[in-house]
Amino acid sequence: MAEVSIKNISKRFKSVMAVSSLSLDIADGEFVVLLGPTGAGKTTTLRLVAGLEKPDEGEITIGGQGMAGLAPSARDVAFVFQQYSLYPHLSVFDNLAFPLRSPARRIPENEVKERVNQVAELLRIPHKLANRSTQLSGGEMQRVAIGRALVRQPSIYLMDEPLSSLDAKLRADLRLELKRIQEELGATILYVTHDQIEAMTMANRIGVINEGSLIQLGSPRDIYENPQSIYVAQRLGQPQINLLPAGLLPSGKLPAGTQTIGARTEHFDIQKKPNGEASVDWIEHLGDQNRLHVNLGERRITTLIAPDSNLKSGDRVALKLVRPLCFSASGERLG
Amino acid sequence: MSNFESLATRAVEATPPALSKAVRGLSDKTIAWVFIAPTIILLLAINIFPLIWTIYLSFTNYAANRPNRPITNVGLKWYRDILGSPEVWAAMQATAHFVFWTILFQTLIGFGLAYLIDRKFRGHAFWTTIILIPMMLSPAVVGNFWKFLYQPQIGLFNYAVSFFTGIDPSSFEMLGSVKLAPWAIVIVDTWMWTPYVMLICLAGLRSIPGYIYEAAEVDRASKWRQFWSITLPMALPFIMLAVLFRGIENFKMFDMVVLLTGGGPGSTTELASITLKRQAFEAYRTGYSSAFAIILFVAVFGLANIYVRTLNRVKQR
Repeated sequence: MAEVSIKNISKRFKSVMAVSSLSLDIADGEFVVLLGPTGAGKTTTLRLVAGLEKPDEGEITIGGQGMAGLAPSARDVAFVFQQYSLYPHLSVFDNLAFPLRSPARRIPENEVKERVNQVAELLRIPHKLANRSTQLSGGEMQRVAIGRALVRQPSIYLMDEPLSSLDAKLRADLRLELKRIQEELGATILYVTHDQIEAMTMANRIGVINEGSLIQLGSPRDIYENPQSIYVAQRLGQPQINLLPAGLLPSGKLPAGTQTIGARTEHFDIQKKPNGEASVDWIEHLGDQNRLHVNLGERRITTLIAPDSNLKSGDRVALKLVRPLCFSASGERLG
Repeated sequence: MSNFESLATRAVEATPPALSKAVRGLSDKTIAWVFIAPTIILLLAINIFPLIWTIYLSFTNYAANRPNRPITNVGLKWYRDILGSPEVWAAMQATAHFVFWTILFQTLIGFGLAYLIDRKFRGHAFWTTIILIPMMLSPAVVGNFWKFLYQPQIGLFNYAVSFFTGIDPSSFEMLGSVKLAPWAIVIVDTWMWTPYVMLICLAGLRSIPGYIYEAAEVDRASKWRQFWSITLPMALPFIMLAVLFRGIENFKMFDMVVLLTGGGPGSTTELASITLKRQAFEAYRTGYSSAFAIILFVAVFGLANIYVRTLNRVKQR
């Protein structure tokens, strides 16, 4: 394991600026998640670190060593791809052993066996080792792909949305396992996703990316509670943050220049009131929680309410904001 | 609510009423039969019936040039004759030589070309088209102009060989020599059909996703190892398919070789299909050649079947 430092890297594909002067330091043993929508430059950043793409500018160091001009094989990195990039004609065991059997490493076969078995144990797939990799389910395939990275014990693990092609339940399971494994091994991981739950649950730090630039970097809590812009605020929280013009709802004293107010569930005070200015449009029952859709004139506000609340569709309600997030006209956070 | 209602009404109005049985007249099953009947009838008339008829004739003394002779049953006589005939075995050997070497060369060169073309260099589409030209020619044309290329005095082939080796161009005859003629037909067939093998191999190589190579690169697999543990195994079903197609085609090769050598010199390039044609339409031994045709058919069919089974096993890996 080693620390990784990315300094001012840029990458352009023809007319598209995929990554523009992005800097990021990842400490040894840290789990950093890059969060952003499709096309934000997350994957390109990852591929630049792996050496699968060459940066136009900037430099990357792994463990203090410059990586400029080094091929992927010369960097001590492991990469988990979004697609299950298994070698289809090999068994699970051989897939896991593949990186270890590189002639460049010269690892004796009994050690290969030992390490593959260890990793299989860790990922809970020891009973699948003899299977052909094409005979696995999606979740098992992705476990093997992750396992192929884990056997290596490289300086850094690079993971490109490894869970995005799995169904919700498996995703939740593997998310927990990945975090457990990372803590057990003390692994350094740079992880790319567009899924805010993955980012929130696994990351030590989240980097929010937009159009190739790192917009905000911080702990999950920090990013959630103190977003520096509307863009970052919209990335986290379910249901998505409600954006309202300042002054629409009573909200106490606002900083000067506030144009837009961002309000999540915790920022609302909702009271049932016969002459309230808003009306309940619809309530979605999700079991453990209810999702409340409120019409306020032309606007629609979505928030969570407790399942035992007595609100129903058609009720008039009064809304108040409690210490909401305030943004300037340009979308910057104020105060 | 009214919104939903109007939507529902509109949907109902927009749906045409189901056609009544009287309007359709025919049941789905009848329509299906009507559509496939022409194909089935044609198949029966020009494939299945001749096959059965050939099987019948192979047990008789029938001769097409003596249709009025009473037909007698000869049992397995023709089959015994054929399997004991040195002439037939010579033809089978010539065929085996032709099939084996053409497949070997075409697969090696075809896969090699596909591997090179797959690199997407500048103008690779242009070169692919150029390489495909021989395959688009008619075998008759190919047979005729290679005859000229092989001409000892004026032929470009002999000239080229002499240019590179210094041998006198008129000192050897590709088509006239007992030793060289079997190789001459192998060269022409390889020239003509390597592009076909290349095309199939190219499809195989293109089907390998790029991220597998990227994964291998990060896993520190050398180019050599990537070739042996990714490229070749993943392209293997395609290569095998090309071999199957070429094998069946060349087993029944006739036109090009007849034009080039006519089976000569002697009978060195007389492939099984040529022997068959001579027996059937020069000697008019219809019963005998029917039996021969059946033997060839069973051989190709059996081999192809075994091969396809192996192919499926490889694909399932």
